[in-house]
Amino acid sequence: MSLAFPRRALLAGAAALAAPLVMPRPLRAQKGGSLVATTYPGIWDDSFREIVAPAALKTKGVEVEFQALFAVDQIAKFAASRGAPPFDAFVLDPGPRITAIERGMFEPFDGKKLTTLPKLPPQLVDQWGAGCAAQVVGIAYNPKKVPKPGGWDDLLKEPWVSRLGLTGFGTTFGTVSLIELAKVFGGSETNVEPALAELKKVLPKIAAVGTPAAMPGLFQQGQCDVMYTNTQTVMALKDRGVDIEFATPRTGAVAFFTTLHIAKGSENVEAAYKYIDTVLSAPVQEALTRPPANLVPVNKDVPLSPNLPMKSLDEMSGFVTHDWAKINPLRGGWIERFNREMAK
Amino acid sequence: MSGAAALAAAPAGRAAAPARARRLTPWGLAAPLGLAYAAFFVAPLLMLVAVSFYADERMTRWGLDQWRRFLLDGFHWKVVADTLLLGLKSVVATTLLGFPFALLYRGASPRWQRVLLFVAVMPLLTSVVVRTFAWIVILGREGVVNQLVLGLGLAAEPLRLLQTELGLVISLTQIEMPLLLLPLLSVMARIDPRLLDASASLGASPWRTLFRVILPLAAPGLAAGCLLVFASSTTAFISQSVIGGGRLVYLPAMIWQQAMVVANWPFAATAAIALLVSVSAVIAVIAYAGRVAAGHAHG
Repeated sequence: MSLAFPRRALLAGAAALAAPLVMPRPLRAQKGGSLVATTYPGIWDDSFREIVAPAALKTKGVEVEFQALFAVDQIAKFAASRGAPPFDAFVLDPGPRITAIERGMFEPFDGKKLTTLPKLPPQLVDQWGAGCAAQVVGIAYNPKKVPKPGGWDDLLKEPWVSRLGLTGFGTTFGTVSLIELAKVFGGSETNVEPALAELKKVLPKIAAVGTPAAMPGLFQQGQCDVMYTNTQTVMALKDRGVDIEFATPRTGAVAFFTTLHIAKGSENVEAAYKYIDTVLSAPVQEALTRPPANLVPVNKDVPLSPNLPMKSLDEMSGFVTHDWAKINPLRGGWIERFNREMAK
Repeated sequence: MSGAAALAAAPAGRAAAPARARRLTPWGLAAPLGLAYAAFFVAPLLMLVAVSFYADERMTRWGLDQWRRFLLDGFHWKVVADTLLLGLKSVVATTLLGFPFALLYRGASPRWQRVLLFVAVMPLLTSVVVRTFAWIVILGREGVVNQLVLGLGLAAEPLRLLQTELGLVISLTQIEMPLLLLPLLSVMARIDPRLLDASASLGASPWRTLFRVILPLAAPGLAAGCLLVFASSTTAFISQSVIGGGRLVYLPAMIWQQAMVVANWPFAATAAIALLVSVSAVIAVIAYAGRVAAGHAHG
């Protein structure tokens, strides 16, 4: 017996099923416009959807749709789309930001269009975009297992080295931490060889060499009890009941900014300015400061969390910073060196 | 396309049409998948090959630079060898554990066969990411295995299982096991039990029956299973990076690093083709071995 399925009904059904897959979902028309912005997966994604999207709609009449992508994935996706931007606004760390500037991925940015401009530290706004959160990198340790480490070089000494969790140059925090480690042994922003040489000496003792995304899990599982990371990760793990504290190294914590940019060729430039203005506004920044987001705010009206190693944003000018325009061209080589030196 | 045209033309030429339609229909029916493969697999693959022949990472000029860089460096050969070896170790481990299970399945009653099949398929019901992270909890320094070992006084220090190749092979064995079992169980179920009786009545020992009758008959299923396990464990990016950690470098993680972190697409493309070619070569050998073994059964 053959199936008595009317062909037209079948085709109509299939077309109805396929339509939502093929056709982009139109954003509802809002008077302030609409845009697609990127956010980092995980905590950033959750808090931007919960806090920023409703605030943008309420205060600016802008509808924001988020795409959760890591910084490097945003660059790759934009590069692959060749001229038809897959989103209107980027959120990036310093390294990928430089890559994007060099490859012409941003619309020029005019800070004067932001109502929040007077509330931001002046170095945070330039011709390419605006900083939306600070990141502070230092050493995280389990106070129940190991004493507080004093500096980067302590990581390579007992009792820390045998409990150390290491990641390579794949992330911003990993790169800056290894640079700081290199500096202690005579290296510099452009010379990480001393760090690799010292690491190689203690390699058999090191508890774990992991991918950046695996590190919080390895720490939580007790696979390692010391690692370098940012304050946000420390607070997130603390919120989950993990024994973890942040230690500022003797040579200073490292600071860098996460920045927002408008994608080249975006058709929603005005809406993108309004979205960026919303992220930088005091109420949104304050909400993003609270758990679980735990971001370090950039709006001067927002008080800093007592868990942070500084009392005000001005104090951060004393923190260690790096020139990513110099680091970027070397980073590919460093990643490969790290693979080779650490490989069994 | 010609199939679709033949289908459309069928009502016009009534006499000749049915025969032609019968001949062309299988092609016509396969056309949607074929076209989808051509558009979404073959074309990107050709683009991948093309990208690997860019000399610089900005992709401005052509050249063999990336290929020279990959092929003339011993480290890359070591990574290729480690990746293939990892696949072979997973194949051996899954076969050693899976084949006895398949023998048990062959001899079981239909009701027990259903239970065993469910057991074999069960791991597929959770995502590979969840299974991988579960292995962190099992193999970790404070994990189940170490608590047991320390509790029983078998070792003074926690064993290092996570971030070792042994730990990775153990977890891949569990993660990839269904891929071996599904094809293997289906051929095992089809082995005629009278052949085993015949073998026994002709005086063959159970071991001789296993090696001379069961193994050759099961060879096609075993080869198909090994092939899937090999292809899947050499490319198991998540398990390799999460369980294996940063000190075990395999090709998939290297490709990801080059494509996403370093943004060097030509080199990533070169490494991707190296993975494709080397894995395909081993797969061809496994498939050939399966055919030879099956040939022994019928020849």
